[in-house]
Amino acid sequence: MRIMHFTLSKYICGMVASLIIFLAGGWLVLAPFALGYQPYGASWDSQTTNDFATGIPVAVLALVSFAFFFVSLLGALRAAGILVARQRPQAQAPVVTQVPSVPATQQSDLDRTLSTLAAALAADLTARRQAGSNQLNQVSDQPTDQAVNSRRDA
Amino acid sequence: MSVRDAMRRLIPPGSYVLFLFFLTGIWVAISPFVMTTQPSGQHWMASTVNNVVIGTILIVVSLFGILGYLVFALRDLLAEAQARQEIAEHTSPSGE
Repeated sequence: MRIMHFTLSKYICGMVASLIIFLAGGWLVLAPFALGYQPYGASWDSQTTNDFATGIPVAVLALVSFAFFFVSLLGALRAAGILVARQRPQAQAPVVTQVPSVPATQQSDLDRTLSTLAAALAADLTARRQAGSNQLNQVSDQPTDQAVNSRRDA
Repeated sequence: MSVRDAMRRLIPPGSYVLFLFFLTGIWVAISPFVMTTQPSGQHWMASTVNNVVIGTILIVVSLFGILGYLVFALRDLLAEAQARQEIAEHTSPSGE
C-alpha cells in the first residue's frame, strides 16, 4: 500500500521564489537606465554590461525554475488523483459489430427446423452408405467367379 | 524508500536552479568591488547600492526557496513514515 502525503506549500514556496527572482532579473536589466547611471546614447560602461549580462540569464532561468516547480506541482496533483491525466484520442474508433436481433420465438422455430433437417440428412446419408456397401460386395464377388471360369477353361 | 529517492523528493530540479541564483546573487553583490567600479573609501554610488541590494535579494530569496521546499518536503516524508508505521501496527496481529 502506497501512502502519499503532500503539501502544496513547498511548490508554492518554490514558485514564489522563482517569480521574485524573475522580477529581480528584470530590474537588473532596467536599473542602469532607470537609475540614470548609464548615460543615454553613451557607450555602455562595465557595470551596465555586467548588470545586463547577469539580468537576462537570471530572468530566463527564473522562468525555467518556475516551470520546474509548476510541473512538479501538477505531477503531485495527478499522483494524488486530484487532476486526471488527459487520455489520448485513439486512432480508430472501436468497431461495433451488430448482432442481428432475432426474437426468441423465431430462434426456437429456426432451431427446430434445422434439427429436423439435420436428422433427415443423417438418415439419408446412412441409407446411401448401406446401399453403397451392398454394391461393393456384389462387385467384389464378380472377380472370383471370373477366376473360377478361367480355371475351368484351362 | 532509498536514500536516493528521499534526496530526489527533498531536492527537486527547481532547487538546483535556485542554487544557481544563490551563486549569481553573490556575484551581483560583490561585482562593483571586484570590477572596481566602486572606488574604495568613497560613498557608494547608485549602481553599487543597486547591485548590493539586488544581490542580497537574490541570495535571500533563493535560500528561502531551497530551504522552504526542503522543510515542507521533509515534513511530508515524516508524515508518510508515521502513517506507514501506524498502518503496520494496526495490520500486524501482535500489534496492540
